[in-house]
Amino acid sequence: MQIDRKSRPLSSGRINFNVPSIQTFELNNGLKIYFIEKKELPLIRINFLVKNGSRFDPQNLKGLTNLLSMCLDEGAGKYDALQLADEFEILGAQFSISSDPDITVLSLQVLQENFIPALSLLGSVVTEPHLKESDFQREKRKVLARFEQVKSEPDYIAEVSFEYFLFGSESPYAYPVIGIEPTVQNIQIELIRNLYQKKFFPFNSFVVVVGNIDSKSLQSELNSIFSNWKVVSTIEEPLINLKKSQRKIFIINKKDAVQTEIRTGHLSSKRSEKDYFQKQIMNLVLGGQFTSRLNLNLREKNGYTYGIHSNFNYFKEAGSFEVSTSVDVENTVNALREIYSEINKIKDGITEDELTFSKASLTKRFPANFETYRQIASNISSKIINNLSEDYFETYIERVNSVTLNDVNKIAFESIRPSELMIVLVGDSNKIIGQITNDEFGEIVVLDFEDVFKK
Amino acid sequence: MNLLNLPYEKYKLSSGLEIILFQNNTLPFTAVNIWYKAGSANEVKGKTGLAHLFEHMMFQGSKNVPKEMHFKYIQEAGGTLNASTSFDRTNYFEKIPSNDLELALWLESDRMGFFLEALDQVKLDNQKSVVLNERLERYDNQPYGLAWEKLIANLYPENHPYNWPTIGHYNDIESYTLDDVRSFFQQYYSPANATIVIAGNFEVDKIKSLIEKYFGEIKNNSTPTAINSKPFQLNQNKFLLFEDKVNLERIYIAWHSQSAFGPDDAALDILSDLLTGSKNARLTKKLVYELELVQDVNTMQFSGKYGGHFMIVATAKPDKSLEEIKKIILNEISILAEETISTRELERSKIVIKSNFIYSLQNIDTIADTLNLYNFYLGQPNSFNFDLNRYNSVSDEDIKRIVKKYFQTCFVELRIVPEGKNAN
Repeated sequence: MQIDRKSRPLSSGRINFNVPSIQTFELNNGLKIYFIEKKELPLIRINFLVKNGSRFDPQNLKGLTNLLSMCLDEGAGKYDALQLADEFEILGAQFSISSDPDITVLSLQVLQENFIPALSLLGSVVTEPHLKESDFQREKRKVLARFEQVKSEPDYIAEVSFEYFLFGSESPYAYPVIGIEPTVQNIQIELIRNLYQKKFFPFNSFVVVVGNIDSKSLQSELNSIFSNWKVVSTIEEPLINLKKSQRKIFIINKKDAVQTEIRTGHLSSKRSEKDYFQKQIMNLVLGGQFTSRLNLNLREKNGYTYGIHSNFNYFKEAGSFEVSTSVDVENTVNALREIYSEINKIKDGITEDELTFSKASLTKRFPANFETYRQIASNISSKIINNLSEDYFETYIERVNSVTLNDVNKIAFESIRPSELMIVLVGDSNKIIGQITNDEFGEIVVLDFEDVFKK
Repeated sequence: MNLLNLPYEKYKLSSGLEIILFQNNTLPFTAVNIWYKAGSANEVKGKTGLAHLFEHMMFQGSKNVPKEMHFKYIQEAGGTLNASTSFDRTNYFEKIPSNDLELALWLESDRMGFFLEALDQVKLDNQKSVVLNERLERYDNQPYGLAWEKLIANLYPENHPYNWPTIGHYNDIESYTLDDVRSFFQQYYSPANATIVIAGNFEVDKIKSLIEKYFGEIKNNSTPTAINSKPFQLNQNKFLLFEDKVNLERIYIAWHSQSAFGPDDAALDILSDLLTGSKNARLTKKLVYELELVQDVNTMQFSGKYGGHFMIVATAKPDKSLEEIKKIILNEISILAEETISTRELERSKIVIKSNFIYSLQNIDTIADTLNLYNFYLGQPNSFNFDLNRYNSVSDEDIKRIVKKYFQTCFVELRIVPEGKNAN
């Protein structure tokens, strides 16, 4: 049979997809629950979120929130650290705790048959952690050893240095979540206990549940475990100090490194429904996926890199625009020039074809964002953390489709600011500096990683 | 377990191309997953990494699909896609809304049948440069990034197919020619050397006729050369010491073990879990919790078609001695050769493994890839229950027996230490 292979086969029909509906309810003590019933598999996933992130850490105690997260499951209720882990494991439950600048998440995935005992363990971790001195000291020593380890990780160095120079030492977003060595040295168990008392209470938390259970039994289980959990407190929001970033190039020297890690970008606005989709579409075109302008240029045309990405990063109280890649040393500045050229070009706007591609990609992919229990739980979490509108997911496709070329081009022009681009390079400064012509990227500062947080 | 019994249909086209269908119409999308029986084990010395180069070249377009358009078409249709290479095979996969399933078949068939027509020097030079950068980024410029290739180079004999890394040696990557690419493609990218899994939402009759339409006319090239792998063993312990841009010292200890789905493969996986799979696992508890000698400790039973090894990796805390860490590791292992592990310990590992089987069913791409994996190693795609039972049937006596069998033999020890710290 001879077939026509010349052109793309046509799509057949339409996809049926409905966003899963969220049920919400509240326990007597004010703890809010967001629940999605999902029955395909006998499992349940819980994200327990506490509005506490590293941005709340005092200047001299950076890393405090992270250490509290590390200590929370080192003993709770009836069990010491190892017993508690053993109890989770014998249920086949996956349990972990992590913090970012804005939020702490305790996540649990467990088979339906083991849900009740696993939930009870989660309850212990949240409401009655031991926070013992000896466990704390061990976890603190882990973090201190980690600081030694990261000194040899170029991508880590690039990322944390970029954020530090971008936000400026005064900003609560300037420091890595794990803190830095001198501030972690300052942390003592009393500070960890105080932080727990201050932040872990029902009004400052919420729970997302996705799984194979009916709403009534879920409510009664949650009630029996969390209804006695009461701490009254208020949250102080730290001041967010944001300055315009400077056109400057920081080279963090790593002698004989065979590649250079590149980060460049500037501050940007917080997430807002006014311009979120416009920025997302522009970013898809610039560096948000494989066939983006940056990747086609630096990887598929010039072969400078294995991959390059651009992003708008959104924190609760701040935002940034960032391009990241790593390239062979000899092409460090060639790569930077191409990045700059693409950034400058995107200010002139995107094409109708690029707009069509981006909208199609976002809207048609949407159903696959709700495939796993984890994806659903994290979508709901993100909706709440970012205060997205009630019908955010229901109107997502419609909203993406309503974005016009003009909307995107206006945002591209306003939100990309080449004169504010700050650069961090991690690589062999001797081999890099000679490639730079005069002040094409602004003032050059060469330093060692050890000196980054002293600036 | 009923949940792990996946009804499927398997058949072959006249070319020998193998098809496996698994239908689940509750999803609005479909996974397409192709395994080519070509991995780094099929390479020859001097051209290592060639199988992995294909993972790149296959996205450079084919007769009817211009460069970059493979990605663009799939993404525009709302799909996701990627590929990966291991010692034994290369896989290519996409997940796509089911109304555009035909698009994926068109793209996959065009590169299976008509790749060479669109190959040229510019594309090859470009992707060699990308792969060299991939190597630099993921291995040469990463702390401990060269440990794996140093280890396997010493663990497997010179002529064994697992002696070199999948990414390939730097000079070999630089040396690829268009002829190398052509001849590798002709040998390994034939329909008879591939299996396609379609999993998710489709209509059976329609998908069968579409598969025939797009793949039916693709002819076989040559038959791949069989891999010649002789039995081997280490006759003495090997000790290797290397300096790297790291701040914490690390030790690797590796023994030869079993090939994938071989007699003790599952027991070795359980042993790995007993040693480092959780906070209470023996090595973790001892080295991380009680003695605080290490920052992390991990173990793995690596197994492929032509062999396997069991590896222990521990990163020392600042100023702790690798010698002492090694002593404790070897001691903990020798305890397992004598003492019987507790029922609860074994039970814990088995429950974790069973739960992970069920968790993995959340993702249709994972299911598609696992069907291909079982088909490749066992000849039977629906082997989820068989696989789970391999683990369930491991006894405490098995653990004792395998420790004696595999760990009282010679091993390779590799240490990576900070620059300037006593390596030659």
